[in-house]
Amino acid sequence: MRTFKHNMRGMSTLPVLLTVAAVIALFLLPNFVESTYALHIMILIFLSVIMGLGWNILGGYTGQYSVGHAAYFGVGAYTTIILMQYRHIAPWYGVWAGVVVAVIIGLIIGSICFRLRGPYFVLASIAVAEIFRVTALNLKNLTNGAEGILITDIPPFKIGDVIITDFMSKVPFYYIGLVILLIAVFVTWMLQNSKLGYYFQAIREDQDAAHSLGINLTVYKNVALSFSVVFTSLAGSIYGLYVGFIDPSTVLALDLSVQIVMTCIIGGIGTIFGPVIGAVVLVPFSEALRSNMIAQAIIDSGLVSENSGFGFFLKEQLSHAHVLIYGILLVVVILYMPDGILGFMRKKISAKRRKEAL
Amino acid sequence: MAILEIKHVSKFFGGLAANSDVSFEMVSGMIMGLIGPNGAGKTTLFNCITGYYPPSRGEILFDGHRMNGLNPDAVCKLGMARTWQKVRPLAKMSVVDNVMVGALCRTNSLKKARVAAMEKIQVVGLENRVKFLAGSLPIGERKKLEVARVLATQPKLLLLDEVMGGLNPAESEEIIQLILDIKNLGITQMVIEHDMKAIMRISDRIVVLNSGEKLAEGNPQEIVSNKAVVDAYLGGE
Amino acid sequence: MAVFFQSLISGILIGGVYALIGIGLTIIFGVMRIINFAHGDLLMIGMYLTYFLFALFHVDPFVSIIITIPVMFLYGAFLQKAFINRVLGALPQNQILLTIGMGLVMSNAVMLAFTSDYKILSTTYSSASFNVFGISISTPLLISFAITIAITLTLYWFLYRTDTGQAVRATAQDRDAAQLMGINVKRMSIIAFGLGAALAGTAGALISPTYYIFPQVGSVFTLKAFVITVLGGMGSIVGATLGGVIIGVAESVGGVYFGSGWKDVIVFILFLLVLLFKPSGLLGTSKD
Repeated sequence: MRTFKHNMRGMSTLPVLLTVAAVIALFLLPNFVESTYALHIMILIFLSVIMGLGWNILGGYTGQYSVGHAAYFGVGAYTTIILMQYRHIAPWYGVWAGVVVAVIIGLIIGSICFRLRGPYFVLASIAVAEIFRVTALNLKNLTNGAEGILITDIPPFKIGDVIITDFMSKVPFYYIGLVILLIAVFVTWMLQNSKLGYYFQAIREDQDAAHSLGINLTVYKNVALSFSVVFTSLAGSIYGLYVGFIDPSTVLALDLSVQIVMTCIIGGIGTIFGPVIGAVVLVPFSEALRSNMIAQAIIDSGLVSENSGFGFFLKEQLSHAHVLIYGILLVVVILYMPDGILGFMRKKISAKRRKEAL
Repeated sequence: MAILEIKHVSKFFGGLAANSDVSFEMVSGMIMGLIGPNGAGKTTLFNCITGYYPPSRGEILFDGHRMNGLNPDAVCKLGMARTWQKVRPLAKMSVVDNVMVGALCRTNSLKKARVAAMEKIQVVGLENRVKFLAGSLPIGERKKLEVARVLATQPKLLLLDEVMGGLNPAESEEIIQLILDIKNLGITQMVIEHDMKAIMRISDRIVVLNSGEKLAEGNPQEIVSNKAVVDAYLGGE
Repeated sequence: MAVFFQSLISGILIGGVYALIGIGLTIIFGVMRIINFAHGDLLMIGMYLTYFLFALFHVDPFVSIIITIPVMFLYGAFLQKAFINRVLGALPQNQILLTIGMGLVMSNAVMLAFTSDYKILSTTYSSASFNVFGISISTPLLISFAITIAITLTLYWFLYRTDTGQAVRATAQDRDAAQLMGINVKRMSIIAFGLGAALAGTAGALISPTYYIFPQVGSVFTLKAFVITVLGGMGSIVGATLGGVIIGVAESVGGVYFGSGWKDVIVFILFLLVLLFKPSGLLGTSKD
């Protein structure tokens, strides 16, 4: 475990204070920021962090690289939305139903896939997610197939007779995302500093050695999977409610699974702040590409004339390029910074420490 | 009272008999040397004993428990632990965290695990390396780390697979001392080793394997003067 | 009954092409132990190459293979030297992510350059077929199958009868031993990836008269390629050949009896079953 200077409970003071300050700032943000677009970006970042932290528990800590986590995202989304839209079950129950369904499915998938190692596990996880996506496309009576499901109305959330929110603005989603994110961070932190966390990491580092040290691989992998699935499924449900529309090509896509992994890799696998950094880097960047902000900025800066062929190309095409850039980023990070930004820093500190000891 | 009984154990891989009708017993507190040329079946026997695969035939009894078919984690919890011929540090975890993983076999409290880990780290002499990442250690220290980690599981029986492999004489001497210290702690040990001088010094009894079969068993003097052993193994080396 | 035979024949014919894809992937895995997630995108590039040769220069797709094979070989060799070579010692997960990234770059670059509009390559014989005993056999598929057999035989000749080919096989069986015997394993890796790319690209060329051509077409084939190689045994060329035909038939027959929407699911379920019960595949040589 990373350890800086310790004080009482193994936490260093400065980072804790900064984190608390940041959390307070995030809670107060909607009061000071008018732009709904900014709120939108924050919500997407929150969801991305939650998905990243969720994946991290299984992939980063336990070393089981699933590139099929979209399956759990989609199952959460579809369960919640189907229950709400067709059975009129309120989403604050529906998301938990989504979690339950996703965990059960996860345990079944785990029992099949956890016997496999390394690349075979990756392949199996992709195959499973694809099975879900194609199934969702085909079970038209349940999921409406490729057309997807459009939400008509989210019922207002009441306590007694008092309406807390009617989900008409982005603000309630902002707070829901923030709270779940904080819970995810807290759970990850608790896991890190628990026997579970040690066992997960041992499995990641060397499965056979871990086995010989008294660790029941099946049990602990499934525990890690369950934690992972809970957060991924919650993110899926919230996404579905927020965006108001889901279909297999968005919530069950291989692209989504790859994005989740990328978020963790860029920031640093197996750390709490890795997914945060990854999300903070990828989400605004991808949005900026999508909405043509970057193209516009290049043109505005005078580097390229709007009327030139290149300028035209930028305006028309750059917004479609975000996946291309993901791909390039992925290649670059794997080649030059496979442990992500945080991992890179960690290595430098450890090397420095070794020099000091000699 | 026999702590370990190997009864007519055989292990087949396809048509190949890696172990063939091997039988011997170990008494609590002893050090048993397991020697033989490369490919004799020593590591295979370790793997059968510790649950990596079940023996094809025969029985393995530990403290009276039948061990055939138990998984490695169950074997560890019952009090048998092993080190690996090719060291397996948990590379991205620190030295103390590595040993704690072993200690967590016996406790759920991180605090207690840390205390137990620090104690074992002192036994093997890695106090200066506590916060180092295991992957950054040189081979000699990795071997010591593996011993500390396995000691933390509080084994009654410890199986050491070529723990001196790849070490220089000074490092080997430290390991020999460590093995003798472990004996003083009351832990029974089975040691696979190619370093004959070391085996002679530490072993109470020696079992010689050759081509999967038990060739001979006896105390060091008997083994050294056993013609068949000398022919098959010592002479050939 | 006729329907069954019909789908069986179609399955075998397309299975030949699948075999090419699988053989390419299995050679790459055999020599470098890398699972190439960009394999389907290599096929896609072969398709686009064929399309433009046809659209701009009126080269018949089957004839254009003469160009496609060397071009794709060089492209594969370049990819290996520039990118794959650097991760040969890395964690398998990282290797997979690298090839995923490369695949994303290829498919999205093509999308940017040529838009995601479906392109169709129709030749005069694209929808031609002829009748044998009441079974209709698609002409382009039959021609592909014939070419596939020719290529496969050439490949076997190369691998079993030439020095270079035997060196490739030796490296696939035991990289360290091959190196000790004086084989330049780096060169073998380049050749292997080049071969893999050439085979994938050729498969793309062969199916271009009968499939829609669009940037994302690769991903479906990548997954199928994996199923084929795992089924046949990673590293086994004969296995990949068999696997290709089996998957082609399973898909074709399954599609008839379960509906075309489900045929992919059938393939994936087959995949999981193999991974579970015989992960080394039918003829596996994997040393893991």
